[in-house]
Order: sequence, then structure tokens, then C-alpha cells
Amino acid sequence: MRRYIPVAFLVFVVYMAFSGSVSPYGIAIGVLLAIGVSLVTSRYLIKDESKALSFRRFAHLAWYALYYLTVEEFRAHRKVIGIILSRNMPVKPAIVRVPYRARSEYTIVASANSITNTPGTVVVDIDTKRSLYYVHWIYAVGLDPETTYENVLKSFESRLSKVFE
Amino acid sequence: MRKYLVLASIVLGVSALAYATTYLGALGPIGSDTRQLAKLFLMHTYNPEFPELTAMSPEAVTSIVWDFRGVDTLYETVVFYMAIVAALAIYRGVGYSAIRGAGLSVIVRVVTRILIPMNIAIAVSIAAHGYLAPGGGFQAGAALAVISVLLAVVFSASSFGKLGISLARAVILWTAGLLAIAAVVFAPVAFSAVTGVRAFLMQNYVKLDSPFAFAIHIYGQQVSGTPTWFNLAEFLAVSFGFFVIFMLLSLREDVVREQLGESRGH
Repeated sequence: MRRYIPVAFLVFVVYMAFSGSVSPYGIAIGVLLAIGVSLVTSRYLIKDESKALSFRRFAHLAWYALYYLTVEEFRAHRKVIGIILSRNMPVKPAIVRVPYRARSEYTIVASANSITNTPGTVVVDIDTKRSLYYVHWIYAVGLDPETTYENVLKSFESRLSKVFE
Repeated sequence: MRKYLVLASIVLGVSALAYATTYLGALGPIGSDTRQLAKLFLMHTYNPEFPELTAMSPEAVTSIVWDFRGVDTLYETVVFYMAIVAALAIYRGVGYSAIRGAGLSVIVRVVTRILIPMNIAIAVSIAAHGYLAPGGGFQAGAALAVISVLLAVVFSASSFGKLGISLARAVILWTAGLLAIAAVVFAPVAFSAVTGVRAFLMQNYVKLDSPFAFAIHIYGQQVSGTPTWFNLAEFLAVSFGFFVIFMLLSLREDVVREQLGESRGH
């Protein structure tokens, strides 16, 4: 039962926001739609019911969103702006292997998207058998797995693990 | 050299359009007054003061599509229906047996899994609010049909079977949408046959010579007569019509050729 609630909530919010109409007709269709879609799709979206309605996990997710959109984005932008404005263009590009430790698909995907959405690093491929991201890094300070993990992934994965693992 | 030609043609084209629209009045008088054609449509779209001349549906485009030129839209739907019938006829005898593929990376798969429920919400919103806001049955159907492409490309065409989406079921839902359209088209005539009140095919609201009208309000809530029902029915017909087409196109050519050859004795 718990697994249906987050999906129903997501569908209802998207529906109401997109329709932009708070009328009895709109709300009635939104509620029916949310129930119907969550009944059909929840099993593909939420595997572990016990995590679905954890307030602690949502608090970690909200904190991560705030941290990512402020601290991490600022840090990454500052570095890339520095490179763009520099006279001698100090780039050291490389595609590096970054080992990940997460087991949940949501942590793996959210970490990969966090890497890609910060300037300077892009996940170009993923090897799930060997638990590796292949990341294009604009200034690769090292190629060994410890260095790439510490510099590219750790701050994202450690925080996202508290949400999804 | 080719690059510069493309660049020059873009710059020239945009400049010519900008000059023509800004200084030569290529778009006609803009901003001075509402045009007569727009006034005409606005007066007839939703106007309780002239019940015999209005569609009573606040969205002008939906009123045009399903009331003023409703028969034209109906025939467009029939053309779409015939195109899918033709596709099904070509594929006659081909069983849907997609070969299991790996799909795309886990990143694309997980993001797509989250997007699909949101896609359904948006498609239903476009259909259900088409009488009030831009959109309608066809647009909503096209938005929902994107899911079939996502399933085939992101998860492999074999995912249809795993999700219980068979070609036969898609055809049933598509046909149900078309039957629902037909029900709305014939409802006034059926009402006329039962009550003796004069009414016409596809009639939405009262006419000078007919008092028949679909409900415009239900418990004080605007629902806008036939445009709403047509939008919902068209949504079903178009989305699953496209599902049928995309499912057929996701079959491998060698599999199709082999089955067609066997079933037709070549």
C-alpha cells in the first residue's frame, strides 16, 4: 500500500500543475488519474515499500537538492569560469573510470546525473557489471580510482545513499 | 564554403522576414484592433446570450475543431483510422514476437521509468482540459503515444509483452475510442428517435430549429458539451492508434519478412 502513495502524489501534482485548473472537475480527474496510474506503475518504480514514505529519507533528499543547487553548482561553475577566463586555458581533459559503491539504481542514476549536470564533468558511459562510470573530466587531477572517486563522485554518492540505499 | 553559405542564407532569411514583418506590414495590421474574423469566432465560441449561434465551449480552437468544422475533424479521424487499418492489413498474419533486447543504459531506463507516469498525467490533462485550454484529443493522444516509442527504444520492444500490452489489446482500446466518437456523433439522433425532439448528427448545442443540447454544466461545473467527449474519445483512439503503429514498426524486418513469406505461401 505504501508504495502507491508517492507515485499517486507525483502524478496528482504534475497533473494539477500542468492543467493549472483548481476546479471540482479538475480535482476529480486528478484524483482518479493518480489512483489509476499509481496502481499500474508503482511496482516498476518502487521496489522496497519500507523506503517509500520515510520522512528521514525525504528530508535527506530535500537537503541534497539544496546542497547540490547551491554549494556543488557554485563550486563547479567557479572552476569552469576560471578556466574560460584564463589566458592559457588550463585544461587537462580525460575520460576517467570512476568506481561507484551504490547498489540502488536511484542512487546510481542520481549520482550520474549530478555529475553530468555540474559543469566540467560528464558521464559518457556506465558499466554496471564492474560498477564504473566513464566520466569526461575537463581537468583530471588524477586517473587512479581513489582520486577520481574522491574528486568526482564522493560528495554526491555519500549524500544520495542516505536517500535511496 | 558550404558552412558560410548556410550561415549567410540563415542571416539573409531571418533579416528579410524581420524587415518584411516590421517595416512592410507583412502580417497585416497588428495591435490596432481585433480582426473581424477573430471577433466572429470569439462571439460564437462561448456566448450564452446567443444560444443558437454558440458552441458554448470556452476554447476557440476546440470549438472550431469539434463544432464549427466538426464533420471535417470527424473525416480526419476516419482517414487516420483507415491508415492504421491499411498498416494492419499489410502486417496481417504477423504475430507480435519482439526479440528480447537489452535496452539503453540504466541511467536512461530509470529516468524514463519516472517520466512515464508524468507523461500520462500530462497527456490526460491535455485531453480533459482541451475545452478550456490549448490542446485536445489528438495532441493528448500523440503525447501518450510517445510512451510506446520510449518502451520500444529504452527498454526493448519485448517490454510490451512484459507489461501486458499486446497488439490485440491496443487494437481493442483504439477501436473503443472510435466507437466512443461514433456514440457522441449519433447520440443526438438516438435522442431524437426516442423523444421525438428534432436533433442532428454531431449536434452540440441548441439550434434555431432544434432545442437539443448536450450538458454544458454538470453541478455548476463547466464541461462544454460534445467537445469534451470528443476530446476524451479522440484521445483514446489516437493514442492507441499510434501504439498499434509504433508496435508494428518496432518489429524486426527479418522477422516480419519471414512470417509474411510463410503465411502467404511465397
